Amino acid sequence: MRLSAGLALLAALVALLPGGHCGDAVAAASGTPTPRFPDGRVRLDRLPGESGYWDLPSTTTLVEQGVHVDIDASGKLKNISDAVRVAPLQPWALALYQYRQRNGLTDDPMRACVGPGNPRQMQTPGGIRIIEDRNYQRVYVLFGGGNRGWRTIYMDGRKPPDPDEVTATFYGLAVGHWEGDTLVAESIGFNTRFWFSNGGLPHTEGLRLTERFRRASHDVLEYEVTVDDSRTYTRPWKAAWTLHWVSGDIPEHFCETGRK
Amino acid sequence: MRRVLTLFLLGSIAAQAQEGFPLDGTWRGQRAAPGESPATIVLILQWDGKKVTGIINPGPKQTAIADAALIPEGWRVKLSARTATGQPIAFEGTLGELGSYHRSITGTWTEGGQRYQVRMVRE
Repeated sequence: MRLSAGLALLAALVALLPGGHCGDAVAAASGTPTPRFPDGRVRLDRLPGESGYWDLPSTTTLVEQGVHVDIDASGKLKNISDAVRVAPLQPWALALYQYRQRNGLTDDPMRACVGPGNPRQMQTPGGIRIIEDRNYQRVYVLFGGGNRGWRTIYMDGRKPPDPDEVTATFYGLAVGHWEGDTLVAESIGFNTRFWFSNGGLPHTEGLRLTERFRRASHDVLEYEVTVDDSRTYTRPWKAAWTLHWVSGDIPEHFCETGRK
Repeated sequence: MRRVLTLFLLGSIAAQAQEGFPLDGTWRGQRAAPGESPATIVLILQWDGKKVTGIINPGPKQTAIADAALIPEGWRVKLSARTATGQPIAFEGTLGELGSYHRSITGTWTEGGQRYQVRMVRE
């Protein structure tokens, strides 16, 4: 099976960057204040009349915060012995992660145009928009990479559902709220038919994600994810990175067009 | 027609992807001794983060699995149970086609003093 167009795009964009990291110069570029609605709430998307979107993730690999391993942009470890350090994996999950790594990530569902899991969306080049629909009290995350899709974060005050009562889906069911200038989204109800990271970190249906989005300036979006899946990991763990504002519109790209 | 075929092919490819805990799900196989009719075996296995639980042949005569384990070194699988009549059941095998949705466990099923070579396939 050929590499999907999405992965090819990812590889092309970050191939020249060691460890999949974009230049820090981009992160430090903006001094423009964070845009806000008239009531003071942070805008995570465009100002009226503006064009632009989030892209250029500062890393394309999911590794526990504070851990440094030699890993390429697609998530492949240079030394398989570092697998134990990437995240606090249970023994079976470590063995499966090592299997996927040794297997050259050939089982990656994204190769069949299955969408990337939530944190992986934020590491897949191709463009992200985070649009707050204040009428319907929802936030839509649109992503141009991978299979070009969207997910919804419900902001209407509903409680997170009982995980046992939720039909498992690829993007889970997310409820969100604001903590100051930070949008916090908590998601449960994931199926296991996707990878939520480049490199193939495993998960089960017990996966819970807490994502924090903070627009630090006009051009910089800080993203943090807490991964909590006690069936796969020995404890919850975090990772964080930044995305950067790019002018223009998300380019039209469909994963399926790269398939033969 | 082309669209239906495309969706079918995409679905087929996606179904090859490996999922979460490798034993989670429903498995089906057969045991047969020479001269006997094959008997179907269905296993339902689930990982709760600490142990694997499950049942054999769900239905009125189902058997609860007493003990089950996945040993990542070599991807070995072991389980044991006892039928309603007290007959011990044991299965020891090895996971194969780990990267496939329809992965398998191949090994020896022991029940009623008989040993059977069995290949269970995940559905």
